[in-house]
Amino acid sequence: MSTTASKRIESRILPAPGCTSPTVALKVAEIADVHAQLRAAIRGLPPAAFAWQPAPRTNTIGMLVAHVALAEVNLAQVVLLAEPRGHTPDVLGLTTDDDGMPIEKYGSTPPAVLAGKDEAFFQSLIEKTEAHTFAACRTLREEQLGDEIARPPRPDGSYRVFDRRWALHHMVEHMAQHLGQLHVLKRQWKAAQPAG
Amino acid sequence: MAGRIETLAFKAAAGRSAAAMTWLAHLDDQTKLLAKDLEDITPAELQWQPKRGMNTIGMLLAHLAIVEVFWLHVAEGHATEANMRKSLGVGTDDDGMPLPPAGTPPRGLSGLPFKYYLNLIQRGRRQTRRILKGYRDVDLARSITRTRRNGQRQRVSLSWILYHLAEHFSGHYGQILLIRHLYRDRNGKA
Repeated sequence: MSTTASKRIESRILPAPGCTSPTVALKVAEIADVHAQLRAAIRGLPPAAFAWQPAPRTNTIGMLVAHVALAEVNLAQVVLLAEPRGHTPDVLGLTTDDDGMPIEKYGSTPPAVLAGKDEAFFQSLIEKTEAHTFAACRTLREEQLGDEIARPPRPDGSYRVFDRRWALHHMVEHMAQHLGQLHVLKRQWKAAQPAG
Repeated sequence: MAGRIETLAFKAAAGRSAAAMTWLAHLDDQTKLLAKDLEDITPAELQWQPKRGMNTIGMLLAHLAIVEVFWLHVAEGHATEANMRKSLGVGTDDDGMPLPPAGTPPRGLSGLPFKYYLNLIQRGRRQTRRILKGYRDVDLARSITRTRRNGQRQRVSLSWILYHLAEHFSGHYGQILLIRHLYRDRNGKA
């Protein structure tokens, strides 16, 4: 959380209210801060900016926003809530394939489902994700954070085991990584626009 | 044969403040993954600029080390240029950031191998670890007021500094991966 009064900037990170676990409350505050940075980063961008590629085979800003929303909702469902499978369409109206990532798997072009989408669409993805994550976090207890959540086996017989601490950590670092990339894409998009 | 298990767990080392140690664990986790992602990177790729005015991977790596040491010095109340050089052996501006619009990478980073940057980050991290182990939860609420180079007054809490270091590290890590992707794509290695 940052506040600005005249030339003074104040930055604090405070545990979010309403959480049962103090650890979760701090992680929720971190997630909220990165969401706020993400919302600010896309504010004012036209639809063309969300679909712009700096080079062939690169992700767009729209793909990155959809990806972080889908990843966070899916992780909340299968790890924080320990549901047997993710169901992102119920929250976002998008499947986990709709971000078009990794782009090489989807013909190296942005997904059609995101074509022409405007800022309001992407802002709403972040808002819906935040509401879903916070609801999943609210009742988590401290002693649940180290529980092992085993996912169903993959075709090769291997399977993944998560704990909720990792899921909360991953939500923050994964979103921050893609936010960093989004900043680079936004600068490149601005530089590519005709002067004036 | 039983299936292979991939375990993704996250545990902070013991310390006086669990929150401080969790932020340290975030930094250690990201550093470990970054080192693995860049284990085969060459000096040429480290100093490659996608275009004038854009950061190189080498600049971002130096920046990560410098920023971590800088903010811990702010937290400890002794952020001076002399202390930066004493702690890390480089100056605050030696990452060359921020680059002007048509800027090129700083000459001081020319030709350096990844080992140099990793050592720089690890040198800073040893100091971070020592300081964070001593923090108690009550210390994290302490605020520091500082004046930025542009004259702006800034009041930051210790908890914000530690959180910021974690998300800042991840943000630039993401950019490093993006520049790697562009480099490989440009050089036909995708």
